[in-house]
Amino acid sequence: MTTSTEGTSVSDTPPESRLGRFAWNCRHHPKRELWFAWWVMVVFYQLYGVLFFFVTRVQPPPSPAWDTPMIVQWFDDRHDGLLVGFGIVFLISGMCAPMNALLAYSMRRMSVSRIFAYSYLIMYSLSAIPGMLVMAIAMTVGALRPDRDPELIHWLYDFAFLSFSGTMGVFLVGSVVWLVAILLDKNNVFPKWFAYLGLCNALTEVVVAPAWIFQRGAFAWNGAIAWWINMVVFVTYTAVFIVLLRRMIEREDFGTGPLPDLPDKRESASAGSVGVLR
Amino acid sequence: MTEVAQPQLEETRSRFVPGQPDMWLFVLFEALLFTGYFSVYLVSRTQNQDLYLQSQADLDLRVGVFNTIVLLSSSWAIARCVRAAREGVYPAALRYAFVTVGFGVVFVISKVAEWIHEIGMGNTFTSDEFFQHYFFLTSLHCIHVLIGFIVMGVVIYQLRSPARRSQQLVETGATYWHTVDFLWVLIFAMLYVVR
Repeated sequence: MTTSTEGTSVSDTPPESRLGRFAWNCRHHPKRELWFAWWVMVVFYQLYGVLFFFVTRVQPPPSPAWDTPMIVQWFDDRHDGLLVGFGIVFLISGMCAPMNALLAYSMRRMSVSRIFAYSYLIMYSLSAIPGMLVMAIAMTVGALRPDRDPELIHWLYDFAFLSFSGTMGVFLVGSVVWLVAILLDKNNVFPKWFAYLGLCNALTEVVVAPAWIFQRGAFAWNGAIAWWINMVVFVTYTAVFIVLLRRMIEREDFGTGPLPDLPDKRESASAGSVGVLR
Repeated sequence: MTEVAQPQLEETRSRFVPGQPDMWLFVLFEALLFTGYFSVYLVSRTQNQDLYLQSQADLDLRVGVFNTIVLLSSSWAIARCVRAAREGVYPAALRYAFVTVGFGVVFVISKVAEWIHEIGMGNTFTSDEFFQHYFFLTSLHCIHVLIGFIVMGVVIYQLRSPARRSQQLVETGATYWHTVDFLWVLIFAMLYVVR
């Protein structure tokens, strides 16, 4: 069987067995790097959710208004989860690289300037430091020595959550960069409605700014507006772009013009090997 | 013949939305998002009704009504702009687009003046829960208006040259502007009218 795309041709016959086809795809599939990055993204977000919500239990965030004894108790309750969970976070943090690369690739495939992809790539690479690693370090430091001065534990608590919330500005600008690229793009890489969803996402990131001022209420870092509504929009936005990136890879022809539409299901079924890695 | 043509015509009509259908999804996203914000506001209000009533009394209803009339007028102007563009009368369309922007500028100026007045009275973003929501909702809406100026810039850019004049983009811009107006009417009702 021959799998061919514009500018790329692979002449080989994939084995019949599922495992054999998987191995064949890993060696010969013209989109293997794109599918690898996409799967890394899927696995990363699953792990991120499990680690932050269920293992370390730092999300949903606790109240910024708590007094020091409550915060020390909060660390004690999560001692093992914080150490194990953030240990794994450090282990998987490198997964951000192929993820960000895929997002930047989507912009490079558009008919817009490379500035969009490069600025997005740099911003998101840097945002992993305060948004994930600094928080993980601060929480781990707090959990590592439970007999530490409670005031220092309190300081680490504020530092960790403010660092996490502080990345929202990066996500705001990143969303705007991506949405402007989509609106200007003539290659039809993403539907325009995704750009408008990006605008909604960007506006909810603005709303996190009052978390710097308030310790209680809807605008605190755990508030209904600053966190809960923001998180619903962000999760929706993320789920949507994961699906749209998958469609982009499926449609990719390695050309420079408009991305072709997907063939219908019967045609794609007859395309044989392409489906294995999906 | 007529019996066959009628359902086709109706189908075409039911599929037709002004501008990009994508922008109508934005209207849906925004409506859902602001429903969330309004829900938080209303729940907070029920928990501390006296404070909200007391703080609300510091708002001048006449300013809210003026803001609403200005934005409704801007919506009227953008609707006239779309109509003129559909009829191919581009100078008039361009004129109405500028009128829309003009009403938008008046809205922003009156909103900033109102904020200054409220801050002067001691009602700031941190003074109480009602004013947290007031400054949050009105400033978020103002950001929408500012984005609306960029959108209107695109509309005017389209209308200026015979080489462009994408009716779809003009109508997409108008849909965005109407959304901004629609959101203001809801915010006005929530903050100024509901007691």
